[in-house]
Amino acid sequence: MAMEILDPTVEPRKQPLTFVPRPDSLTGKRIGLVENTKFNSDKILGKIGEILKKEYGAAECKMWRKHNSSVPAHQEIIDEAKRGVDVVVAGIGD
Amino acid sequence: MTIQIESKRYPVEDLSHAIEFCYQQGWTDGLPVVPPTERAVQAMLEAAGLEPRKQVAFITNRQVAVTAEKIAINAVMAGCLPEYMPVVVAAIEGIADPQWGYHGPATSTGGAAVLMIVNGPMAARLKFNSGDNLFGPGWRSNATVGRAVRLVMRNVIGTLPGALDRGTVGHPGKYSYVIAENEAESPWTPLHVERGFTPEQSTVTVMSAEGPHQFYNQLSSTAKGVLTSLCEDMKHHGSTNGQPQYCVVLAGEHMRTIANDGWSKKEIQQFVYENTHNSVAHLKRTERLPGAVTAADETTMRPLVPSPQDVLVVAAGGRAGAFSCYIPGWAGGKKSSQSITKLIQDRRV
Repeated sequence: MAMEILDPTVEPRKQPLTFVPRPDSLTGKRIGLVENTKFNSDKILGKIGEILKKEYGAAECKMWRKHNSSVPAHQEIIDEAKRGVDVVVAGIGD
Repeated sequence: MTIQIESKRYPVEDLSHAIEFCYQQGWTDGLPVVPPTERAVQAMLEAAGLEPRKQVAFITNRQVAVTAEKIAINAVMAGCLPEYMPVVVAAIEGIADPQWGYHGPATSTGGAAVLMIVNGPMAARLKFNSGDNLFGPGWRSNATVGRAVRLVMRNVIGTLPGALDRGTVGHPGKYSYVIAENEAESPWTPLHVERGFTPEQSTVTVMSAEGPHQFYNQLSSTAKGVLTSLCEDMKHHGSTNGQPQYCVVLAGEHMRTIANDGWSKKEIQQFVYENTHNSVAHLKRTERLPGAVTAADETTMRPLVPSPQDVLVVAAGGRAGAFSCYIPGWAGGKKSSQSITKLIQDRRV
């Protein structure tokens, strides 16, 4: 017997995202590093910061630590990053 | 009462085609689902007293609103009876609570499932199993309520295995992981009363959790003896990524042994907290913490859980057998995900 069934899914709400333009060069730029609390994430980000200074001419690096790896960077990090750095490096890894 | 359902409709030839169609659309957990017809979905909504458009939860990281209509459709698919719907709704409210922290446990390689513990009069009324074969098959309410929650996670929130559910090994509790506390035989304060609800209220507690780890003690006739065996097993689980909450499920024989010594849940929690510390030296030697072992590490102790209250003690399981179990929370730890207890509400006018 013919029947009709209902769709159990939804489409996630769409929202436009605007990216800031990428800098042409990192020379003299201030780098923010967002560490996700997992083992060694501070070490790898520190190493990345060193490379960005040594090989790409970045001026300085500042690192922040998230509350935990499962949440976005908290407001204090966002506010400080807005004020104090030009570029942010963040990521997640185990 | 006819309620306006707005979800997209698909015509299918017959029942068997409907089941296959759901597979083809990627809407199932691997088992056949009950095809969600409008009539069945309406019955589900009516039993909960919910309008279809009512937003039950909002999952921030996914920007997804979970409506009563979508919960009802998935509850039908899971095989729920309409009267289970308020339990499913309460569980969804629980996992959407910011303290539960949906994104972490739902997505993590840690592979947690949603452990649900039902308390209060509704547990018996809806025939939730709290006894023999506690985590096993055989009870419709236990099997389908958890399945409904998982289908909502999959179909509404987008927690698809291999995509946004990246559990490395996962566990069978991801199909359904629902128990009730055995309040009729328990000598202790029920979990929901410990958490501020009245005995007459019904609740569901959601906890992001690994599978149950069974432990055995047939020798001891004392609370201390049984719990010493438990702690010896638990402490070597020794999650170091983050200190999670743990659930300790005490079945009939152990429950009676411990209660005969006059121990309350608070005393159990305190004993388990104090006797599951690991030395930092041990954690380093077993490669769970980095670095060389120092002299101070031998006497620096690390608790398994943040506090005694982070051991959820539940009386449940069969009357016979010297087995009980502990359930580690998701490895992300309490700072990332806390167990949440929500009231099961009858919203019918």
